[in-house]
Amino acid sequence: MNAPTDLRTLRTAVLDTSGRLAVAGAGTAAGWGGALEPVDAVLDTTGMRGVIAHNPGDMTVSVRAGTPLRELAAELAPHGQHVAFDAARVAGGATVGGLFATADAGPAALVHGSLRDLVIGVTLVLADGTVASSGGHVIKNVAGYDLAKLVHGSYGTLAVIAEVVLRLHPVPESTATLSVACTLPEAAELAAVVLGGPYEPAALEWAEGTLLIKVDGTERALPARVERLRAAVGGSTAEPDIWERHAALVRGADGRASIRVGVLPSRLPELLGALPRVSTTTAGLGTGVATVTVEPDAVAEAHRLVHEMGGTSALRARPAGTDAPAWGPPPSALGVLRAIKAELDPKGRFGPGRFAPWM
Amino acid sequence: MGLSYAVRREFEYTLSPQDVISDPVRCRAYECDGLTGYRVIPDLVLLPRTAEQVASAVRVCAEHGIPFVARGAGTGLSGGALPVADGVVISLARLKRVLEVDPVNRRAVVEPGVTNLEITKAAAPHGLYYAPDPSSQQVCTIGGNVAENSGGAHCLKYGFTTNHVLSVEVVLADGSVVTLGSDTGEQLGPDLRGTFLGSEGTLGITTKITVRLLRTPESVRTLLADFPSIAAAGDVVSDVVAAGIVPAAVEMMDTLAIEAAEEAVHAGYTVGVPAALVVELDGPTEECDVQFEQVKQICERHGCTRLHIAGSPEERAAIWRGRKAAFAAVGRISPDYFVQDGVVPRTRLAEVLDRIAGMGADAGLRVANVFHAGDGNLHPLVLYSAAAGETERAEKLSGEIAELCVEMGGSLSGEHGIGTDKACSMPKMFTEDDLAVMRRVRGAFDPRGLCNPGKVLPTPRLCGERPGKYKPHPLEESGVIERL
Ligand SMILES: Cc1cc2nc3c(=O)[nH]c(=O)nc-3n(C[C@H](O)[C@H](O)[C@H](O)COP(=O)(O)OP(=O)(O)OC[C@H]3O[C@@H](n4cnc5c(N)ncnc54)[C@H](O)[C@@H]3O)c2cc1C
Repeated sequence: MNAPTDLRTLRTAVLDTSGRLAVAGAGTAAGWGGALEPVDAVLDTTGMRGVIAHNPGDMTVSVRAGTPLRELAAELAPHGQHVAFDAARVAGGATVGGLFATADAGPAALVHGSLRDLVIGVTLVLADGTVASSGGHVIKNVAGYDLAKLVHGSYGTLAVIAEVVLRLHPVPESTATLSVACTLPEAAELAAVVLGGPYEPAALEWAEGTLLIKVDGTERALPARVERLRAAVGGSTAEPDIWERHAALVRGADGRASIRVGVLPSRLPELLGALPRVSTTTAGLGTGVATVTVEPDAVAEAHRLVHEMGGTSALRARPAGTDAPAWGPPPSALGVLRAIKAELDPKGRFGPGRFAPWM
Repeated sequence: MGLSYAVRREFEYTLSPQDVISDPVRCRAYECDGLTGYRVIPDLVLLPRTAEQVASAVRVCAEHGIPFVARGAGTGLSGGALPVADGVVISLARLKRVLEVDPVNRRAVVEPGVTNLEITKAAAPHGLYYAPDPSSQQVCTIGGNVAENSGGAHCLKYGFTTNHVLSVEVVLADGSVVTLGSDTGEQLGPDLRGTFLGSEGTLGITTKITVRLLRTPESVRTLLADFPSIAAAGDVVSDVVAAGIVPAAVEMMDTLAIEAAEEAVHAGYTVGVPAALVVELDGPTEECDVQFEQVKQICERHGCTRLHIAGSPEERAAIWRGRKAAFAAVGRISPDYFVQDGVVPRTRLAEVLDRIAGMGADAGLRVANVFHAGDGNLHPLVLYSAAAGETERAEKLSGEIAELCVEMGGSLSGEHGIGTDKACSMPKMFTEDDLAVMRRVRGAFDPRGLCNPGKVLPTPRLCGERPGKYKPHPLEESGVIERL
């Protein structure tokens, strides 16, 4: 195990080892994507932590990639700022780099997108030791290619993410969640009302017979907005910890496979109804993204169904001892993916197996 | 040298003879984009009518090793659509169908030649709109927006083109067709969609784009405020941000820009004041009202000399007319001008503008400023007279301003792109290794370099061996290497 503490020692670690390398953060998603093939060494990024520069007036922060996002959040909180991102794993100590490399996202994606929309700069170490950066501390920047996008969702197969610059948002003064007991098809109808009206929800998720609608705003204005929303869809105000329960459902339970699926929002209820042997579901009715836990032997069938509906699917948790496939049919740009892999990591050192059987 | 008759015939056969322009007089209409200082007359201009024809035309290029340049409306300001010698221009102007507006899923699928504003027009009957709003939105195409990752006044709150494009169909340099991204923004592997966005036509030609649409906000409140100094206006921006308000737009204009805009459109700005701010808030009515009150107080606290609140949609439109006219209007107070597009951290705005004023004075040239204050994206307009022989001085000043932005921890470009214009300045912002990795990415998409060659990344042929300005290499900063 190699445990670098910063860019310099990370680069040394990459150069000092030969052969195949896996990148490991906090381990909250170690089993995501394709099963890792045997590697010669593991690069542990959790020693690379801490804020490099926080510019509160510019609302940007650069951090070492091994920093747990919840640790960063605690540092930013006194400034009334946060990373507008709430993937379920954050509570488990997931690192900024790990969250980025797995393209994870939570309910806040409805408004803020995923980390790819919040990361404005990145520094990478390639398999040959090349250090490359793009972006920086300004939120608007079109100079050069956006290398950050390239590693978002790369599962540690293209480069090691050493440092990340994030765009920050103000923590909302006030937040409320309305919960409405309903079936998924009913929730979809209510979601259409919410999204079609002037309510500006911050999150809109259905899970286990409940539609959750979150609204963010100012202390003075929020109560009236919540009242308006309640008049339109009914329901009652929920305790804030309801989102922790939601996150726990997304994280899933041991022994079950978990898949994240995405499809046009209007087709989500139909898709979720068709998936076989599902035990729990959380469904983003505005985003079209859902996480379901299924029996491991139903994963292949799930991939197929999602693909037929024009959607995307990726395996999250893989129960030990099962070989549920991580991916469904390959994307049309597989040739480009392979070419990028060949350019950036020609010896295939990083993350072998993560995109099997595609590459 | 020129392309052979046989090649021309092949393009004519692939498209149709009337869709291939070879007459040099007609080709001249494509010799430059909005950066008119650079001109190259292309050998041929292709006007395909369908995505399939684009792919077929690119396949002919691939077969013969002919470089090609995609072109939308040609409003680009960095020479991105500048033709290459012995190459062809592929115009996407005829691919201009809105293929689908899906109000339920709040998405639209469009061809690349559709203008930015047409998307919003198609979405408007459903109470939806397409958020990124470059000032050129009436004419610029969504294909060009994708290539430049274009921004607009309202991108501070809503994000840039990359945040609103879910997927793109792309014809690669070998003529194959792929889709990058998905209907939801979920990815299967690395974000190739995001890599393509803002690649300035160098990674392929997009032939179909799926964009997100947003619901038209319930309320919009707009004010125009005058200030006794740029610094005071800058302080307002900082305080608004510190109050946790994310305005839909914050735009600033200085004396010269105000004067030019007023002369052109009489929008009701105060001629002679040092700085004017346009602040716009949007969202649910209750929120807008609360925060608008706060913004007004912040303006007053910083010595605002006049506060004009738009009382009607017409008054709001007038404020924006003034702001959006400022660019072109500068033509009224100066025979010629260069526009820069550098970005600085918002907190350094006043300092940078001060430096720019000083540099202008030293060069004996006037600089007008109209810019996106909320995100630190400057648009300094260097005024000069070519007739009076000031071109070289102005060009030098303009380049120095862009590089100053990099020194201040910012970027060469916030939205106009690098293109031909700033390719040779790239080493001021990036290390040789950064650029080498970008070249590797480029090589993965287009190994033979046929797709818009010579743009974005510097080449010795274009730039000579210009040594970059000193910038600590990341390894140097962390102590791996040293430079004495
Ligand atoms: C008065 C004025 C105001 C402006 N205001 C703004 C502003 O507020 N914000 C802003 O961001 N920009 C602004 N611009 C710049 C310009 O309008 C944008 O860059 C716009 O996106 C260019 O679109 P276009 O269709 O004119 O593209 P073109 O100029 O034709 O091409 C631009 C680049 O895109 C490539 N390209 C075009 N179509 C495709 C395609 N289908 N696939 C792949 N590559 C393609 C070209 O090769 C070229 O590199 C302004 C320009 C003017 C003249």
